[in-house]
Amino acid sequence: MIDCSDFQSFGQYFSTHGFTDTVTCFVQNPPFNTANIGNSLWMIIALPILGAFFCGVFGKFMGRSNTHLIASASVFGSFLLSVMVFWAVNPSSTVAPNPFGSTLRYAVGADYGTWFQAGDFRVNFGLLADHLSASMLMVITGVGFLIHLYSTSYMSHDKAYWRYFAYLNLFVAMMLTLVLADSLVLLFVGWEGVGMCSYLLIGFWYDDPAKAFAGRKAFITNRIGDFGFLVACFLLVLTMGAFTLQAKNNNFPGDGTGSSQVFKAGLSAKGPLSFAAIDAFTRALPSKADSNQVTLSTVIDNGPLKGFAYGAMVTVILLCFLLGAAGKSAQFPLYVWLPDAMAGPTPVSALIHAATMVTAGIYLFCRLSYLVVLSPTAMAVIAVTGGITALLAALIAFAQDDIKKILAYSTVSQLGFMFMAIGAGAFWAAFLHVVTHAFFKACLFLGAGSVMHGNAEETNIKKLGGLSKEMPVTWATFLISTLAITGMVPLSGFFSKDAILHALHTTTLEGYEHILHWVWYVGLATAACTAFYMMRLYVLTFHGTRAPDAKVPHAHESDWQMTLPLVVLAMLAIAAVAHGIPVMENANREGPLQTVMENYLHPVFQNAMRSIEATGFVTVEHEEGLPWGAWGMAWAIALAGGGLSIVLYRFVFKRDGQWSGPAEFIRSLAQHKFYVDELYELLVIRPVKFVSFIFFKIVDSLLIDTVAVRGTAWVTAQTGAALRYLQSGDAQSYAAIMTLGLMCALFYALFKVL
Amino acid sequence: MQLVPTQHYLILAAVLFCLGMLGVLVRRNALVVFMCVELMLNAANLTFLAFARERGDVTGHLSAFFIIAVAAAEAAVGLAIVIAVFRSRGTVNIDELHTMKH
Repeated sequence: MIDCSDFQSFGQYFSTHGFTDTVTCFVQNPPFNTANIGNSLWMIIALPILGAFFCGVFGKFMGRSNTHLIASASVFGSFLLSVMVFWAVNPSSTVAPNPFGSTLRYAVGADYGTWFQAGDFRVNFGLLADHLSASMLMVITGVGFLIHLYSTSYMSHDKAYWRYFAYLNLFVAMMLTLVLADSLVLLFVGWEGVGMCSYLLIGFWYDDPAKAFAGRKAFITNRIGDFGFLVACFLLVLTMGAFTLQAKNNNFPGDGTGSSQVFKAGLSAKGPLSFAAIDAFTRALPSKADSNQVTLSTVIDNGPLKGFAYGAMVTVILLCFLLGAAGKSAQFPLYVWLPDAMAGPTPVSALIHAATMVTAGIYLFCRLSYLVVLSPTAMAVIAVTGGITALLAALIAFAQDDIKKILAYSTVSQLGFMFMAIGAGAFWAAFLHVVTHAFFKACLFLGAGSVMHGNAEETNIKKLGGLSKEMPVTWATFLISTLAITGMVPLSGFFSKDAILHALHTTTLEGYEHILHWVWYVGLATAACTAFYMMRLYVLTFHGTRAPDAKVPHAHESDWQMTLPLVVLAMLAIAAVAHGIPVMENANREGPLQTVMENYLHPVFQNAMRSIEATGFVTVEHEEGLPWGAWGMAWAIALAGGGLSIVLYRFVFKRDGQWSGPAEFIRSLAQHKFYVDELYELLVIRPVKFVSFIFFKIVDSLLIDTVAVRGTAWVTAQTGAALRYLQSGDAQSYAAIMTLGLMCALFYALFKVL
Repeated sequence: MQLVPTQHYLILAAVLFCLGMLGVLVRRNALVVFMCVELMLNAANLTFLAFARERGDVTGHLSAFFIIAVAAAEAAVGLAIVIAVFRSRGTVNIDELHTMKH
């Protein structure tokens, strides 16, 4: 351990110590006051909100350049603050009051007190940045800024530029809310917010019905997922409430930091949906029965969930969360919205539908890692969902001709990889893939945007070709990112994908011994497919001769605002490799070497890892030394897939080589996306429409329109028409009726008295 | 001297009231209807005074004076209306005066 106590500045320390020590100490001692940085976290969110406000309200009057300046500057400001937060999160930083007794290290945060309260239930408005959120902050604001810069050129001909930048800033703010939230409720605010901004941006060109429809499809599909998310939250509150009443004192650690009183006090101070509370709950709920403890197999004895076991409830909660994550992160069967989301402007596809929003589901599971590891069933389902999604999307991507559609399906497929990693309990691998994927996929999308910009908005790769000389920067960066996503050796994608495959290969779930092994095979097949279709995309777009039916005879390279982000992202796609190389020793200085990312995220996932050791639900085989064999195999697979694709599309098919016979059938199947949309139409949309039609006829047309609305009017009119005859205008007949009434009253009174 | 019991006054008032009411309901001449209304008012007066004598206080007298004042005002306005109607329509038969309907 290096002693940094006499560190004052970089130069002073470097003169007396070695370079490595100096860098380490420099990283651990940021040159600014970190004491109260938690209280400034809100500014990271507030800046883009302000930007959205100014762009949206005054953008039209400020002119194009001012809007660009405000939108980009607000995100860049957020980026600078994120760097500070990223730097300030180190071993010495702690969140001051953690009412659950334990000290939360490697995190900064602020709790702004009660947000709302109803009876015992309470939600605090709090922000928290640990290593996981800090890394996400860097990705969101860093990639977000590059995409804002790119958009200034890409949207330079659009009339509604101010609306675009307002939406984009709002999206960044919402995504930051999502990752900075310290409770599921605030996370849900961000979760809904990014969904709304995604809807607004997909349907940005709303005068085209197809694009507006794509926006609606995304929103509705996401809503289905959000429903699952909400149900999961409600169940979690109920389960924790039941546990609070039922827990025994020896459910809590005996070191004085925990007792049922402390737990109850914590719950009433932070609310059951804060991450600190869920963490404390999972730590207090062991799997193995010890004489007199409440365990996962204990049956709940109070409340509305009476009769269900805690373990079963955890599984159900996680499956509901999976539904939510599947909607947001485009997993089977809710992935159908993402390819259609390509109707939005291309930078939006890069930011929202590749780099940030769609990773929210993975972020959610990483955040709840301690809950995930309590249920091997849910983990198996998550892994299988990821596997199905990855393979299905990769197969569909084989036969697509639209450059953005291919990238969209590749995104779905890569997200499937991340879910596989979550299912294997390798949260750090999933998150590593989130980060590397954000870089290379954003670069690919922006490259695709650059290609479209230089070719009169042509998206069909069969009508492009030979762009490598005309668009050199786009070509070079696209090549680097393509190699990164296919998993070529010196690039980041190789290590992140291999980390996932390695985790699948070495992990076994209790009760589901062979599942991860099968998912591993699926993962290998998907990796080969990825290499194939990405190289197909690359070769058809950038090599060969220019297609005769291209829209413009010569493409032009884009402005610096567009190429600079491409270059930066391509460099990041290479540099991110540093996260994936196993060079670090773990905390106990034993076992195999960890990757930088695994080591860095260790504080976030340590409770989950502790649970894994305690429960034995997940077993990981450790190998000695570096996994050269697995690396070699993954590399060979990627090389084989990519090589086959190059050979086929460069030399065999030439430009529009057609397959024939049974291959043609499969191709057509893949081209039509395996008819999943049609299946949805048949199984979901048609029945819903039919039921809606019935309801429309019976409830709306008959009950509401005819009976309720026209009926009351009819009754009033008829009553009026009938009573009309009583009004004769003859005062004497009125008086006669009055007299009659008086006499009746008189007789009644007499009758009562007598 | 033997006092007339209060019940007799009340019965007389009720008979007067019923006669007035019957007149109001069945007669067609506006003037006669008017006179019948006066009859009903005076029946009420008689009731008030009967009770005032029974109870030995002045509240009933007070009410009776009010009614007389109102009846006088009513007679003035009502007769004026009847005369105005006769001048414009040439009749005071209320069967032919259906203007309240429209």
